Amino acid sequence: MQNKKTNTGFMYQLTGPTLLFLLVMTAYPVIFTLCYSFTDYNYLKGTHPFSGLANYKALFQNMYFRQAVRNTIVFTVLAAGLEVGLGLLTALFVKSLKRGQKVVRTLLLLPYLLPAVTVALIWRMMLSPNYGIVTELFANLGLPVYNWFHDVKTAFGMLLLIDVWQNVPFAFLLIYAHLQGVPESQYQAASIDGAGALQRFWHITLPNIGNGIALCAMLRTIDTFRLFEKVNILTGGGPANTTTTITQFMYMYGVKTMKFGFASACAVVMTVFVLILSSVYIRKAMN
Amino acid sequence: MRTKKWMALAMSTAMLGTLTACGNGGQQTGTSAETTKTAQADSSQAGETAAEKTTAETSEAAKSGEAAKMTLILRGGNYADVIKAALPDFEKEHNVKIEVLDMSFDDLHTGIVLDAANETGSYDLCMVDGSWMAEFTENQVLANLSEMGYSFDDDIIPNTTKICTVGEDIYLAPYFGNVTVMLYNKANVENAGYKPEDIKTLEDMLKAAQAAQAAGVNGFAYRGDTGDNIVSDFLPILLANGGWVVDENNKPTVDTPEFKEAVNYYLELIGTGMALSKDDLTAAVDNGSATLAIGWPGWYVPKADSAANYMVSPSMAKEGSEAYNTSEYGTWCIGIPANSPNPDLAMELLQYIMDPEVQLASVANGGVPCRYSCLTNEDVLKEYPHLATVCKALENGVYRPTIAQWTEFTNILGAEMGNIMAGTKTTDQGLADAQTQLEALMQ
Repeated sequence: MQNKKTNTGFMYQLTGPTLLFLLVMTAYPVIFTLCYSFTDYNYLKGTHPFSGLANYKALFQNMYFRQAVRNTIVFTVLAAGLEVGLGLLTALFVKSLKRGQKVVRTLLLLPYLLPAVTVALIWRMMLSPNYGIVTELFANLGLPVYNWFHDVKTAFGMLLLIDVWQNVPFAFLLIYAHLQGVPESQYQAASIDGAGALQRFWHITLPNIGNGIALCAMLRTIDTFRLFEKVNILTGGGPANTTTTITQFMYMYGVKTMKFGFASACAVVMTVFVLILSSVYIRKAMN
Repeated sequence: MRTKKWMALAMSTAMLGTLTACGNGGQQTGTSAETTKTAQADSSQAGETAAEKTTAETSEAAKSGEAAKMTLILRGGNYADVIKAALPDFEKEHNVKIEVLDMSFDDLHTGIVLDAANETGSYDLCMVDGSWMAEFTENQVLANLSEMGYSFDDDIIPNTTKICTVGEDIYLAPYFGNVTVMLYNKANVENAGYKPEDIKTLEDMLKAAQAAQAAGVNGFAYRGDTGDNIVSDFLPILLANGGWVVDENNKPTVDTPEFKEAVNYYLELIGTGMALSKDDLTAAVDNGSATLAIGWPGWYVPKADSAANYMVSPSMAKEGSEAYNTSEYGTWCIGIPANSPNPDLAMELLQYIMDPEVQLASVANGGVPCRYSCLTNEDVLKEYPHLATVCKALENGVYRPTIAQWTEFTNILGAEMGNIMAGTKTTDQGLADAQTQLEALMQ
């Protein structure tokens, strides 16, 4: 009994500082954001009168917000799906290499190491209608050249392409790590039983790395939902709001205008969306 | 077990110590509210305000021979560069070390506002866009320069000072004469069969753009990304059509015949070219892949032999129709935050930067002073002939409405204009939606 008590005390002593840190850095901002979302917070005057659900009402009545939610959900589903899918294919390919795995692995990781702002600026230069290398290449090959970031037909797709390009390495790395844990003996047994490559993948690889894929999808969903830098730098949410995400909306209509109560309500709604989307994966991982 | 206990205690203490140390570091180097609050608490205990204390510290530093420190928050790019070029002499003369923060348009606004809530601020001098003036004066963000001994001299173009005052009190000084002008490629305009001086009406402008397009280059290039950029590029066209965004009571006037006419014209005009980012736009006009664009003098500094130049944007819709002032002011002004830690030194710096000779020297670095002595100087005009055009535009510019909601106003109007330009809404539908939302905003 005494031993159990001592162990519990020991546990609290060790986890206490971390819990305190998390409370200050995570719980405190979340609680305050929630509180501010019910106020008409004027930063300059330092006043925050209670406004009830007014911010939430204004938010859901705002047509640009509804469009931003649609854009964000479509973008997140497409980006997370493509990133996990391509990450899985890449991981399987690298795992199958007999030689040079380390080199390929390192090279594949490079885009993920770049900051999002740098990535956005590099792509902006490459796709510039004036001197962009991609535009030049397309023109020389006789392919149609678009005004990539200012055309409603291409802007959303270009942002998706850039995000996928940058984040596939993350999905690859996570899935590749899980692939290392699949017992070789299972493949050998399946081969002896005459299973083909597709059957081996379906019945051995996938069940073994299922949790890894779910985790990867969840992390990518959460991260993609917060997409901001690329949108802000490359399109500013245009053309015709086709690339406005929730974070870009929050910045334009909440932060830039110093309406922090409204921005807080937007942040709370976004968090709820992320939790709903992630819950699917969390449940899968728990199972 | 005892060893285990001692180890746990030691580890916990070490972790807490680390966290505390991290916190202290932030307080020493950051400009956070906590730092300010600590400073305020300290100074109130000592029976003096934080600003007084900082000023006293600065004087102490000056006396002891140690360089004082100042921080300027400026609009990045050419606007900040010209000030930076002038600073070394001031630093030397006043034994002061000046740090300059180059910010984007939005970050500059946010930076000034966030710092304004502190009793003692982080910035000694700030650059301010005229459209923020209502919000800033309403909330006492800026110091009253008149009370600090500043006044305008006769050399400053009078119209550029209008945005800088509230009643008789001066809050800002017009530093960089940014005003919309039309950027054009000389060769393209000539190839289209026009001389720059022939483009007097919007009709001429459209014809020249169409002729350029027929010749295989873009006619009119414009910014089509964020709301404020879309609105900024469109306002000179709206003005030439006799329209405006609000009436004298600040009621939105977006769903009006003049506005519709201007939008329909603008759709035709942008059909001759393409949407570009700012950097691409100036590069396109300079390299000849685009012919005309609405631009700002801070973007591009043409010389006599440059491929592109500026002209005043057309003042009337067509020959015989009424002429209006169509140059939209975007003058970058300088002011002193009300909570500046070194207000006296900041005033000296402001006066130094606004000095006619210092401003004349800034022209060589791309500066555009709001001063007749600089913009009509023969030697200057020989090298930078476009400044004559800028001077004309500055004399007759139009200010964006001085309303505290202007940022949100442009967000809404820009979003609906973007919808119309992309074809996702008709002109009537887009403008009606904009009007409804803007009326709700201004209530």
